[in-house]
Amino acid sequence: MTEGHRLLPQRLETDAESVERDLFKLVLTVIELVRQLMEKQALRRVDEGDLTDEQVEGLGLGLMHLEEAMEELKGRYGLTAADLNIDLGPLGPLLSE
Amino acid sequence: METVERVSWDAEASGPQIALVDLLDRLLGSGVVLAGDVVISLAGVDLVQVKLHALITSVRAEMATEGRVL
Amino acid sequence: MAEQGRYLYAIARGLDPATVEGVRGLDGAPVETVDHRGLIALVSTVDLAEYGEEGLRRNLEDLTWLEKVARGHDTVIHAVAGAAVTAPLRLATICLDDDGVRARLDEWHDALETALDRVQGRAEWAVKAYARTGPSEQAPAEVADDQGTPGKGAGLAYLQRKKGQAHQQAQSQERAMQVAEQVHEALAARCVASRRLAPQDPRLTGHEGAMTLNGAYLVDEAEGDAFAAAVQELAETYPDAHLTLAGPWPPYSFASLDQS
Repeated sequence: MTEGHRLLPQRLETDAESVERDLFKLVLTVIELVRQLMEKQALRRVDEGDLTDEQVEGLGLGLMHLEEAMEELKGRYGLTAADLNIDLGPLGPLLSE
Repeated sequence: METVERVSWDAEASGPQIALVDLLDRLLGSGVVLAGDVVISLAGVDLVQVKLHALITSVRAEMATEGRVL
Repeated sequence: MAEQGRYLYAIARGLDPATVEGVRGLDGAPVETVDHRGLIALVSTVDLAEYGEEGLRRNLEDLTWLEKVARGHDTVIHAVAGAAVTAPLRLATICLDDDGVRARLDEWHDALETALDRVQGRAEWAVKAYARTGPSEQAPAEVADDQGTPGKGAGLAYLQRKKGQAHQQAQSQERAMQVAEQVHEALAARCVASRRLAPQDPRLTGHEGAMTLNGAYLVDEAEGDAFAAAVQELAETYPDAHLTLAGPWPPYSFASLDQS
């Protein structure tokens, strides 16, 4: 896909009242992106078939706990996946192969 | 049954205009892309720029090279 | 004295100059015509501080400025498109003066005549298709039999579930792309020319699902209603595609001269 016309960064305006929540939301967005990438990568490794059963189980448990932790964090601030703006769909450039 | 929403521009009517993103698609000759960047500003003062795309890219590169080791 | 230039909006043929009387272009400047070898450039005077090379480099990154110019540009296009065959130009085509405009008209003459012939008596319609709304909220991991402690093999089960979800998602994305392709082909068969533009960023469109088709179609003016009916039919065949239709518009996507 040809690179489109890029606009300058978006601004996250915050103030003393909302700065904690705004920054938290930004940090969670990044963590969630990383978490999803980790899951994708883990599934790939499992598919490749060179992991022991123990390693697979360990990966799965770890990722499961990570997902639970994310749900808890999101819940604490009342944030949904949409809020974290990471649902970029099949054409999302950040999560493309 | 899905009804297709029809948006038209008519010089006489004061109906809906062409969406800005559609105009820019055509007038700029390429789509408009929002860079995955955020400038964090506090009390009206720009402080920090976070380049999300660069951050995620570097994570992925690292995963590729260290993929064999868990 | 600020340096000025001429901003070109479009090239027309057979246009009565009276059409642009009272039409205002960017920054309120009057729209004027420059004639050369039967082709008419629609222009207005702009400040080079804002529209020259330096200014453009700065301003093209500013969405507020882009909006102002895109709207101003579009207003002029619509003012003339009804009156004569018009080839809209891309944003920010600037010449230093009217001699420069004539030189461009000269250089582009044949390509312009071809473009005008291509769009004469035709209008552009835009059809978009979307995938279903983005990946749904993932169900949180289920805890296995014991309370609080994951059962044996829970890790493996989690991975298998995720794999299943990923597979389903990939399939549904692929299906959405296929549908978009089918819609595009069906419409392309019903018009004079068609183009697939790059999908638009969901953050710009406000639509949750990813855009799978951003199509532009050049349709004979008399065929407009039939085209719209065809889109309606496709929407009924593929309800998951969330088709939208817009038009008739001036032929923005089909008057290109492949200008650099």
